Amino acid sequence: MADLNSSQHQAVHHSGQHLLIVAGPGTGKTHTLTQRILHFSQRLKDQERILAITFTNKAAHEMRERVSSQFPQWQDRIVIGTFHYFGLSLLRQYAQRIGISENFKIAAPEDIAEGIKEIWPQWKASQRSEILEQASRWKSVEFQNSPSEEVRQYQECLQKKGWLDFDDLLLNPVNLLKECEDVRKEIQQRYRFIFVDEYQDISPIQHQFLKLLVGPESHLTAIGDPNQAIYGFRGADVKFFESFTEDFPGAQATSLSENYRSSPNLLSASSQIMAQGRSLHVPELTAKIYTEGRLVIHETPTDKAEAEYVVHQIEKMVGGTSMFSHDSGRAEISDSAARSFHDIVVLYRLKAQRRCLEEALNRSGIPYRVTEQINGNPEDLVDPFSFRQFREGDNAEKVSLMTIHASKGLEFSVVFIVGCEEGLIPLDIAGMESDREEERRLFYVGMTRAKEQLFLTRSGRRFLYGKSYENAASPFLADIKEELKEYEKLQQLKRKKRNEDQMSLFS
Amino acid sequence: MRFYADLHLHSHYSRATSKNLNLEYLALWAQLKGIQVVGTGDFTHPSWMKELKEKLEPAEEGLFRLKDQYAKATERELPAACKGEVRFLLTVEISNIYKRLDKVRKVHNLVFAPHFAAAEKTQKELGDIGNISSDGRPILGLDSRDLLEIVLESDPMGFLIPAHIWTPWFSALGSKGGFDRMEDCFGDLTKHVFAVETGLSSDPLMNWRLSQLDPYVLVSFGDAHSPPKLAREATIFDTELSYPAIYRALSDRKDKGLIGTVEFFPEEGKYHYDGHRLCKTRLHPKETIKNNGLCPVCGKSVVVGVMARVEELADHPEGRKSPNWRPYQNLIPLPEIIAEAKGMGVNSGAVQMAFTEILNKLGNELFILQEASIQDIKRAAGSLVAEAIQRSREGKVNIEPGYDGEYGHITIFSSEERESSEDQMVLF
Repeated sequence: MADLNSSQHQAVHHSGQHLLIVAGPGTGKTHTLTQRILHFSQRLKDQERILAITFTNKAAHEMRERVSSQFPQWQDRIVIGTFHYFGLSLLRQYAQRIGISENFKIAAPEDIAEGIKEIWPQWKASQRSEILEQASRWKSVEFQNSPSEEVRQYQECLQKKGWLDFDDLLLNPVNLLKECEDVRKEIQQRYRFIFVDEYQDISPIQHQFLKLLVGPESHLTAIGDPNQAIYGFRGADVKFFESFTEDFPGAQATSLSENYRSSPNLLSASSQIMAQGRSLHVPELTAKIYTEGRLVIHETPTDKAEAEYVVHQIEKMVGGTSMFSHDSGRAEISDSAARSFHDIVVLYRLKAQRRCLEEALNRSGIPYRVTEQINGNPEDLVDPFSFRQFREGDNAEKVSLMTIHASKGLEFSVVFIVGCEEGLIPLDIAGMESDREEERRLFYVGMTRAKEQLFLTRSGRRFLYGKSYENAASPFLADIKEELKEYEKLQQLKRKKRNEDQMSLFS
Repeated sequence: MRFYADLHLHSHYSRATSKNLNLEYLALWAQLKGIQVVGTGDFTHPSWMKELKEKLEPAEEGLFRLKDQYAKATERELPAACKGEVRFLLTVEISNIYKRLDKVRKVHNLVFAPHFAAAEKTQKELGDIGNISSDGRPILGLDSRDLLEIVLESDPMGFLIPAHIWTPWFSALGSKGGFDRMEDCFGDLTKHVFAVETGLSSDPLMNWRLSQLDPYVLVSFGDAHSPPKLAREATIFDTELSYPAIYRALSDRKDKGLIGTVEFFPEEGKYHYDGHRLCKTRLHPKETIKNNGLCPVCGKSVVVGVMARVEELADHPEGRKSPNWRPYQNLIPLPEIIAEAKGMGVNSGAVQMAFTEILNKLGNELFILQEASIQDIKRAAGSLVAEAIQRSREGKVNIEPGYDGEYGHITIFSSEERESSEDQMVLF
């Protein structure tokens, strides 16, 4: 079996009925989970008994690749997909048992927005989308209670049209398993080994779904990191992580704490962030990578200057992207340290911060890619193959731009987190208040993406949604010990800037 | 017919280029220099592409000419003696920056398209994977091999030439961003590459020292970032004036259409020696080795230039000829020769005026530098200029080699020689 350290080995070979694996960033979470799946697969005659649930389709795709690289014959037997994907496959088989026509259609958000105009034609679009949010919340969190009148009307509308929305792909299977004992038993018999990834981010309805899937003879493995629970705003609840051993009696817990991603100083900085937060009983991580990392803090007067700073740093670390940047003395890094574009990610809290960055990158000609978060596209959640096409068309290397949320599970040699300001991290601007502890975890997620270089930048003034903000530094920055921080020398930058202005006169 | 081609240049949409790099001035300067086929450069840039489609009209197969209405714009600046036919050929340079075999590679590649449909196909493919609108020479995180695949799929006659293959930072074999072997750069598609551009800092003699370059023909182009820099180097053909004929001359070893090249003195190129420009350290490769590769001023590693890199990869001593060798001639740009003869700066008004005058009298620059009789030059421009051209034709010049981005510096005369010259009175 593939390389495993002793705690990974223990997690892979654990033989109790249920197991919770606490796995911090860079500890080999996916590798360990995959090896545990393969470990069970090898002992089974029938790999179809295995069900692996991932958080995103992309993760499902990657796990499928990992499985098929070792055991190509199993890739179609082991069921790997999101909760939504699995819910849909149950409905395809048993929809009629709970009174849903077998010709149901999964409605796209655009169709639904159009469809509900019929119920509330006189309402504003914003009022209607509020109802949609209410419905979503009811289906994923408050499904035990009876729905509001509007939500009831909305459901009726869907039924009439033969539509299911996204959340129905979880709620209906839950109802199915609750109501039809025979189906529940059959499913529980079929999937005897269940694996759930990103367990810190499961929602009440997913938790309910899982409880119904796990029968008396099932073996459940959940893996995740409560320090990286960042989807509370969408109904996920980290409390399920903490109650795992009560929810699944006989469960045991183990943890992975050796970090193979970040240099020791970056790891210290991120753990200082969490040390100041609510303790979540996660063991301290130990560094297994001994490269020398950099944690740079930089402040600029404006958000535009912040974006220029980021671009300038990227040009420097790629070792100059053009002859021009060489001739003007821009590039000054030794070639051994040179980075390629795909080693670099720029993270931001809000999509609205992206425009400045894109403008600066466009001016420089540096290739970049915006990675959108999965949230609204039904195919993205339910079709585990849709991701493949998206990916194969484009293998060019680019700098990545994404929200901190979208960066979960990824790693980069160089990470920029822009907008490290009060009001953005933690998010607290009018109409966008958030849970401070979740924001801390989100910042932790962003920081722990970095392998070698982490830039935390902020701007004295920023324009967002047509308003100007003057924000102080993010309070989280103060939680990182000074000796770990490196401040970019302002003087030096100013001189360079002047040189560039002079150069531009000749071009 | 015999003609000169300069197929590596840029439009005003590329970074750090002159504002008047437009088709009108390119056509004008092509005639002043004596070039018949010029690359368009930058065809992936949407605005430039639009301009190309608007201002060019089809001429021979795969070649285009500037429409009359646009050619008129610069008519007055064109001496009758220089008047000639100019054809454009669709080209673009791509800056490929990507990680391969654990190192960041930065390779510039020239791409050629036989017609607009192929150019637009390539443009679309590249537009889907990167930013082609901000720089006429787009920076793409695309493997050179994958670029070649896109080019080959654009049309059976689409082709790619690795640009200035020895430049340290941005080339297929460069010391900083390159590979040790062409195969490492282009992988399974290497056999579809049939020519390499030697660049300003190397000449064929240096390239012939590598057996691994034997399968390729060597071409030279000017890489102009302003119209007067056109034809600093050029490739000579003697074949039918058409894209397919040029394609055959480059790709078919039995074809006799490729005659040779005109070249910079490689020492004049920006990266011939090693060193540090900011520290003013210029080192011969042997001195670099003595200093363990470090700059004696700042103590950091020096930028290793073309001469050292060739030495590193060469498997033959100097003097060897590659089986596919073609003759070449080293040239010094005429304005530099005039400047040297006059002892004045190359951008000074007097030098520019003298340049225009000699072109008026004798014809285009490449003709003057290579073919015009020394007697005629003497009559048109004085004996110092004539002597300077004579010496440059014979290679009897003094060059302080270029290094780390600094051009080499040429001297043809000592100051005593200049002062004792018979036409001193005329010049000063």
